[in-house]
Amino acid sequence: MKNKNIKTILLVSFSFVLVLSITSATPQSAYGAKTPKADDVSDNWIAEDQAKASKRAAEVVPFVDKVVDECRLFRQQKLRKMKLSVNDIDNSYFLLDSPIINKEDDQYGPVRFMHSKHAASVGDCSACHHYRPADENALETTRCSACHQESFMSDHPERVGLKAAYHLQCMGCHQEMAEGPVDCIGCHVKKVPDHADFVKLGVNPGAIEVTKECLRCHANAGEDMLSSVHWLWEGPSPYTLCKEKKINHGKRSTAINNY
Amino acid sequence: MELNRRGFFKVMGATSALLSAGMGKARAAWVSKAPPDPYGCLVDLTRCVGCRKCEEACNDANSLPPPDIPFDDPVVFETDRRPDEKTYTIVNRHSSGKIDDRDKLVPVFTKVQCMHCQDPACVSACIAGALTKKENGTVHYDAGRCIGCRYCMVACPFEIPAYEYTNPITPKVQKCTFCFDRIIREGGKPACVAVCPVEAITFGKRNILLVLAKNKISDLPAKYIQHIYGEHEAGGTSWMYISDTPFEKLGFTKVIPEPIPRLSETVQHSLFSYLWSPALLYGLLGGIMWTTNKAKNKDKGGSDASS
Amino acid sequence: MHHHKPCPVNAKFWTPGVIVLSVLMGVAFITIAARFIGGLGYVTNLSTARPWGLWIGIDVGSGVALAAGGFTTAALAHILGRHYYEPVVRPAILTAALGYTFVVLGLIVDIGRSWAIWKPMFFWNTNSVLFEVAMCVMFYLTVLYIEFFPIVAERFKGNVNFKGFLSNFNGLIDRIITVIDKMLGKIMWVFIIAGVVLSCMHQSSLGSLMLIAPTKLHPLWYTPILPLLFLTSAIALGYPMVVFETTIATSSLKLDSEMEILTPLTKITIWLLGLYGALKLGDMFYRGTYVYLLDGTYQTNSFLAEVLLGVIIPWFILLSKKLRSSRKWLFAASTLIVGGVVLNRINVFIVGYQPPVSKTAYFPSIGEIAVTVGLISTLMFIYRLAVTWLPVLNVQVKEVSDEK
Repeated sequence: MKNKNIKTILLVSFSFVLVLSITSATPQSAYGAKTPKADDVSDNWIAEDQAKASKRAAEVVPFVDKVVDECRLFRQQKLRKMKLSVNDIDNSYFLLDSPIINKEDDQYGPVRFMHSKHAASVGDCSACHHYRPADENALETTRCSACHQESFMSDHPERVGLKAAYHLQCMGCHQEMAEGPVDCIGCHVKKVPDHADFVKLGVNPGAIEVTKECLRCHANAGEDMLSSVHWLWEGPSPYTLCKEKKINHGKRSTAINNY
Repeated sequence: MELNRRGFFKVMGATSALLSAGMGKARAAWVSKAPPDPYGCLVDLTRCVGCRKCEEACNDANSLPPPDIPFDDPVVFETDRRPDEKTYTIVNRHSSGKIDDRDKLVPVFTKVQCMHCQDPACVSACIAGALTKKENGTVHYDAGRCIGCRYCMVACPFEIPAYEYTNPITPKVQKCTFCFDRIIREGGKPACVAVCPVEAITFGKRNILLVLAKNKISDLPAKYIQHIYGEHEAGGTSWMYISDTPFEKLGFTKVIPEPIPRLSETVQHSLFSYLWSPALLYGLLGGIMWTTNKAKNKDKGGSDASS
Repeated sequence: MHHHKPCPVNAKFWTPGVIVLSVLMGVAFITIAARFIGGLGYVTNLSTARPWGLWIGIDVGSGVALAAGGFTTAALAHILGRHYYEPVVRPAILTAALGYTFVVLGLIVDIGRSWAIWKPMFFWNTNSVLFEVAMCVMFYLTVLYIEFFPIVAERFKGNVNFKGFLSNFNGLIDRIITVIDKMLGKIMWVFIIAGVVLSCMHQSSLGSLMLIAPTKLHPLWYTPILPLLFLTSAIALGYPMVVFETTIATSSLKLDSEMEILTPLTKITIWLLGLYGALKLGDMFYRGTYVYLLDGTYQTNSFLAEVLLGVIIPWFILLSKKLRSSRKWLFAASTLIVGGVVLNRINVFIVGYQPPVSKTAYFPSIGEIAVTVGLISTLMFIYRLAVTWLPVLNVQVKEVSDEK
């Protein structure tokens, strides 16, 4: 019995720490992203391959005007005969980002694309590298943004722009394979607008004031929460002190607040 | 009342002058006023994923009021919506009737907005010329000329123009603007087109889009329906659609393949060009009146007949 | 023998009927106030799919048609020289002038930007049928007021009698009225012909209005000859409308029934209504739209009612000389014809109008009905006011007059 009680207490305290760590982390990750503190060195640290991927994503390579018209099956066979494999990959990690894409709008953060992982699991380079440049000196596989750049080029009405090329390729394949995300936030981080401009709170606001301020804009989220399990959970609680024999203990019925 | 000889001949003279001018014009057949090389949009319904980013971008670009249901809430697909005075474009979900490998109904998403007809019925109808067809394809609305008669709404075969019925004094007709201010800039695209993640909408010159659409259909004849909605509908529209599901199943209305204003404008101009028919009728009635009055005056021995 | 002459009717004004009219006017006034405070959406059932409703169907569409008595009688008496029918011209002109005034008032309530109603005069769109209708209605309303002026002048000539300070101007106003009346008398033929021409133009164009909606108007009504049908029905309606209003006016004011004018008048209607009916049925058979006749829909039944009750039955009633001479039967036939044309306008503008995409249904709201009823009441009220004070209706006069 006692053992169980200790477990419960441990669980509660653990969740406390978890909640605390989330709340303390939130300001930096979500709201502080646009205004990093200059004195905080840890914020400026970027992983080496991330830096490389960012640099690569920022490049705009010369446009490939003509491609070799090959049938898909033929190309698959050709690349297989060349014995192209994961080992030939120079860049195993990409950021799918480009100045071409971000001209019109920039609601989402760039997608992080695991090139090697995809290559290994798909096992068919021609699935993405579906055409090669007509220039014989060019590499057999070239990057997406070499052929797909601006949308609706009058010389190439059939060729989609870079943004559509990414979306059609990723989502099409994910759908076909029934694997991988097909929704927006499955791949992207949504760029949350800086809430410093929206939130209007006095000095040292109370918990209820903060909740009210959130609900001012996110009324639906508040209502959804009230019909979610986070608000309505209940059930047997054999490990809860003094509630061992209850079968309907929970926030919906007898519990007063979170633990 | 009195119709003297001089007055009568004056009328008849004017009548015959107008007649000769009017009849010539009236006989000329109806001529389309469509711009020769307008912009257009080709919507490939097989590509649309129903993300509703176009709705959001449209709302933002036109500073429209916030929607009742957020743009990322798929619950809106439960009802069939129409564009209204607060929403210039909407995406509806239809069922193609097909089932995919995992036994799920395959949805087809349709974007609805003003079709920007080549010979728009609303433009022909508008009493004060508040609606105009621009060279770049836009059917443009100028609230400064609008009197709020809503004849454009009666005329539109696609039921697009919406009206601010709750505004008592200065209501406006609301519809897709084709982002006129954006597309007149070099390289500018409508907001919905620019935001579309999958290029379900292709923006370009209508003539090129037609070729593109035909190529797409002939390249994949088993995938696409052999019909470009908007190529001939209402005499041709700037917005066109291709689909893998029959258009009737997707809420697209069947519209006659000729310009909607053709008949009314033909009737109107053949009757009233240079006002020839009113002038003729005026002369005719004047002649009858003169004759009957003369006969009456003779009966009465020349005394005048006043009303 | 008593002679007839247009005279003010010196009957009691505030009868129970007039009081009911005033109440209906009050209700309409409140509704109109609500429309200008809360917007059209506040009092009407109009929507994106159904932008035109009762106000266009009745106040404008039927209002213009019902005022056809004005130009048809003017054409008969003044242009074709059938001066025998002169006595019905004045009330018909009054009805037309009032009718058109209320068409304009109805439009001011219906259009969203009422204050901008003048704009079409400066921003022309000659492709627009509505533009032509608007211009014709504007000019014809002016013509009607000019045609009505002699009636006012006759009442006040030599009889301008303002009290108090204004009495200084009595002589001047009298002279002005006399001069204008004399001038108008010389050139009145210009306006009489213009009135007929303008009427023919916009009565037909009112039908052309719906030619712009080939996919929306039910095929029973959508025909290229819709303008011709509107014109012929308006002309056919003219004399029955005169019978209708004269009978109501003379019986409620207890005047002579004027059957000796009305009966021959409606004999002409046999031809006019026959022409309209032949065109309508001929068009139906030519285009093969009779296939819809028995499908039992709301639209088809409304079409059947319009043709059977509004054209065929009254035509057969008028055909019989005996029935034509009976005041009751003549009134019944005229009422059917008037109702038939009103139903036709409602069918074309409301019932037959089917939005093909959203298929939205429409039934007028209480507010819309209140305004329409109120505007008609106001029209009747002013008609009553006018015949009480102005020489419009024929009243038996005892003194011997040398005019015939």
